[in-house]
Amino acid sequence: MKMAIQGIGLTAGFGSGIEALRSALQSGRAASVTGNGEQSAFRADVSGLAEFIPKRALRRIDHFSKMTLLGACLALKDADLLDADRSRTGVVIASGYGALKTTFNFLDSYLDFGYSCSSPTHFSNSVHNAAAAHVSIQLKTTAPSLTVTQFEMSVPSALLSAQQWLAEGRVDQVLFGAVDESCDVLTYCREQFFGSGEQGPLQPLTFAEQSAVAGEGAVFFVLNRETDTAPYGFIDGVRMGNYLVRPTILPEGDQLIVGADGHKECGRWYQQLLKGRKVAAYSPLYGSFPAAVGFDLAVAAVSQCDGKLYASPAANGSPAALPTQKLGGEQLSCLKLGPGGDYGLIRLST
Amino acid sequence: MSVKEKLKQVLIEDLNLEDVEPNEIEDDMALFGDGLGLDSLDAVELVVIVQKHFGVEIKDMEEGRPAFQTISTLAQYIEERMA
Repeated sequence: MKMAIQGIGLTAGFGSGIEALRSALQSGRAASVTGNGEQSAFRADVSGLAEFIPKRALRRIDHFSKMTLLGACLALKDADLLDADRSRTGVVIASGYGALKTTFNFLDSYLDFGYSCSSPTHFSNSVHNAAAAHVSIQLKTTAPSLTVTQFEMSVPSALLSAQQWLAEGRVDQVLFGAVDESCDVLTYCREQFFGSGEQGPLQPLTFAEQSAVAGEGAVFFVLNRETDTAPYGFIDGVRMGNYLVRPTILPEGDQLIVGADGHKECGRWYQQLLKGRKVAAYSPLYGSFPAAVGFDLAVAAVSQCDGKLYASPAANGSPAALPTQKLGGEQLSCLKLGPGGDYGLIRLST
Repeated sequence: MSVKEKLKQVLIEDLNLEDVEPNEIEDDMALFGDGLGLDSLDAVELVVIVQKHFGVEIKDMEEGRPAFQTISTLAQYIEERMA
């Protein structure tokens, strides 16, 4: 069953809202790069949330959930549904890491002061489903809510659930989000594993080199069953599997947006599966994190809407990169590969 | 810094009362309900805050209930047990 994309809301290092994404695609780099290097460019600013939710209601809500709420509110605003009844709106959120910063803060307080001084608020926010709960409470979405975590495959896996809910008629609409956050502990760990590669610049199409830089952000889509109008087109289908176990055939005529994000370990799988095929990759705009597949999907939807495939940022003349081009009748697909041959393929159409 | 002043400061910081300044919290303002507007989850956080910042353990919520009325009653409770 096709899903119609009625609205998109997002926040990441390049800014918040669909126009910020368009600007980033046009300029080819994140808008908020500062003197602190690449990593600071990939932090999401959540100050825009004040437009939608009273400050006092946010005091127990952490950065992860604030990004989530901002993405959700912006998507509803984009779909002109901020004032709509949401009693039949489900919430599905994909996250590879969950609320990292709060989880580490909670663990720190436990280690430093013992269980009796561990903050209950930190604990409640550290569970993966906390963000979906905050969305449901603040936005009064009273249909089912779900958080799916399957590391790199979280987004396609969660999309399958959203599709199923719509097909079964359990909901009329799904607020579908992909969220991950970065934090100092993650940066430290990544530097231990990846060394200087973590300093950027992120070059996703240089598959054999480690260049990933941790990013963060939230992206949301308002999805419903196929209708006549869908401003950003449709999600035709979602396919998942492991191509080492069962070889997969990539759609021949599609333009591919790949979720390559500078991880050498995954890069070699892209190299093997793509066999020299030209593709697009946009991770230099938002950084490297499992839920970034959601941003690839947003880029694909915006490209469909604009009738144009944007050039891959930081491609540096890579022979693997598709050039900027007008989209004719061809479809767009987002391909994400995880370590070990896992894949997720999301196919769109106008 | 007095216990009252420190209490006001840590309440604002640890409970994320971003829209409140320490001088806006009066010593005899009710902490819960109409006063500062704290709720039952804050009460649990308050137990943690008192132990973490003042080393005073509130083992029994019934015992803590009278102390949780205002900044003055809480400061008095802490001072009596710190002494």
